[in-house]
Amino acid sequence: MTAEPYLSASDVTRAYGDVTALDSVTLDIPGSAVTGLIGPNGSGKTTLLELLLGVERPTLGTVEYGGPEAVRRFGYLPQRPTFRPGFTVAETAAFYAGLVDDDPDRLLDAVGLGEVADRPVSGLSGGMTRLLGIAQALAGDPPVVVLDEPASGLDPAMSERVFAVVESIADEGRAVVLSSHALPLVEQTADRLVVLESGRLRTTGSPDELRERAGGPLHETFRSLLADETAVVAGGVDR
Amino acid sequence: MTTADGVWRVFAREVTAARRTRSYLALAVVSAVAVFGVAVAGGGPTGGYVPTVVDVLVVVELLVPAVAFAVGYRALADPMARGELDIVETYPLPTWAYVAGTYAGRAAVFTVVVGVPLAALGVHVATTAGPETTVFASHRGVDSPLLYLRFLALALLYGLVSLSFVFLLSVVAGARGRALVLALAGLLVLTVGGDVAVFAALDGGVLSDESLAGVLAVTPAGAFRGLVFDQVLYVAVPTRSSFVPAGLASAALLCWWGATLVGTAVVATLR
Repeated sequence: MTAEPYLSASDVTRAYGDVTALDSVTLDIPGSAVTGLIGPNGSGKTTLLELLLGVERPTLGTVEYGGPEAVRRFGYLPQRPTFRPGFTVAETAAFYAGLVDDDPDRLLDAVGLGEVADRPVSGLSGGMTRLLGIAQALAGDPPVVVLDEPASGLDPAMSERVFAVVESIADEGRAVVLSSHALPLVEQTADRLVVLESGRLRTTGSPDELRERAGGPLHETFRSLLADETAVVAGGVDR
Repeated sequence: MTTADGVWRVFAREVTAARRTRSYLALAVVSAVAVFGVAVAGGGPTGGYVPTVVDVLVVVELLVPAVAFAVGYRALADPMARGELDIVETYPLPTWAYVAGTYAGRAAVFTVVVGVPLAALGVHVATTAGPETTVFASHRGVDSPLLYLRFLALALLYGLVSLSFVFLLSVVAGARGRALVLALAGLLVLTVGGDVAVFAALDGGVLSDESLAGVLAVTPAGAFRGLVFDQVLYVAVPTRSSFVPAGLASAALLCWWGATLVGTAVVATLR
């Protein structure tokens, strides 16, 4: 893992009218590592991802990019990716690859979809659609890849396959930021975890550090960590 | 990849999608049946180009925006709902370029769906009307294929303006359900709303009789109708002059076109 942050969010706040979705979050995203955002629904994970990407603008604070220069800085997998119907997997990959002069076959091979290249996107399973979304996110070899709930709604086998792909793309030197409720897989894949609750950053650390603070497997104690303000993890609040 | 390459890729995808969408073929058939049905029932094709334009003008004035709205109402709402615009924002393709490519693609679809039946009707007139209609003439009192070409060009321009209107509504809607409701409301406003507003203002004394022509010229439907009368129908009728200022009507159509397209790109970028 490199110490150079690819992204730096400083005191980032995002409010929608009277509702504060994210409150004064400060966070660095390092390269060559998987950063996992975890937290209950409504904790601000998607908002933080969108602010890091730049598709949302912060109400207060700044997000700065410090990664290498690239044709495309960010790859993005939205929470529920759907692709334009009427096209095959290969045509869809070719469209996105063509926007950055990339090779669509390389993208499909990277996520293991080469063998279903001729299948219509409307005929893909949820997991395969997610993998095609990840292939699209890799187009142009972006230094930062942002994945919003890449395994949401998938069966365990497909979730493991998706997370294996996530691990492999971080091995290529990228900064991967993902949000997920699949805690065992996140714990296994992420180099660093960021715990959000009610729009606030509760704590960050490696899975080992958080396990140590929690006193057991993270996914088993996660709920109690967030429910109890005085839980042991509160001692490590990093804001 | 240059921005122009990106626009071309988006355009090509739109055209490919349209070629695979049978409902567009159905739309083209309905358009053809409508214009041929009205023209043949009115007997215009045997009389010449101008009589044919007289027969189909009202239908075309409604058909053109209706087809444009059908072709364009989901053009941006769907990709927004799919999250495609958020994804595209991560590529080196400006949002305005995505909008431009999408618009160009849908404009090509519209041009085929409406333009081909109207062009076919022109060919039908050429093969059925009297010998005097084969004369190319620009002076008054003579029927000519040139007049029909003017009508075709004006119909397509009105359609492109209508399409840019519905693009703006589509990007404002941002979701398929809202896009349909907004498109229906927009279609009503575009086809009859301008005329109703102008005549209500006239009736209420807000407008004077002298200003009526100018105000009608700035509504899209009024501008189209006025230009058809000025550039097509009254050319063949020596004693008549146009009921709207042609220059103002042309400028109004171009302004509506440009303003709604720019508005669409701005809303898509700032959404």
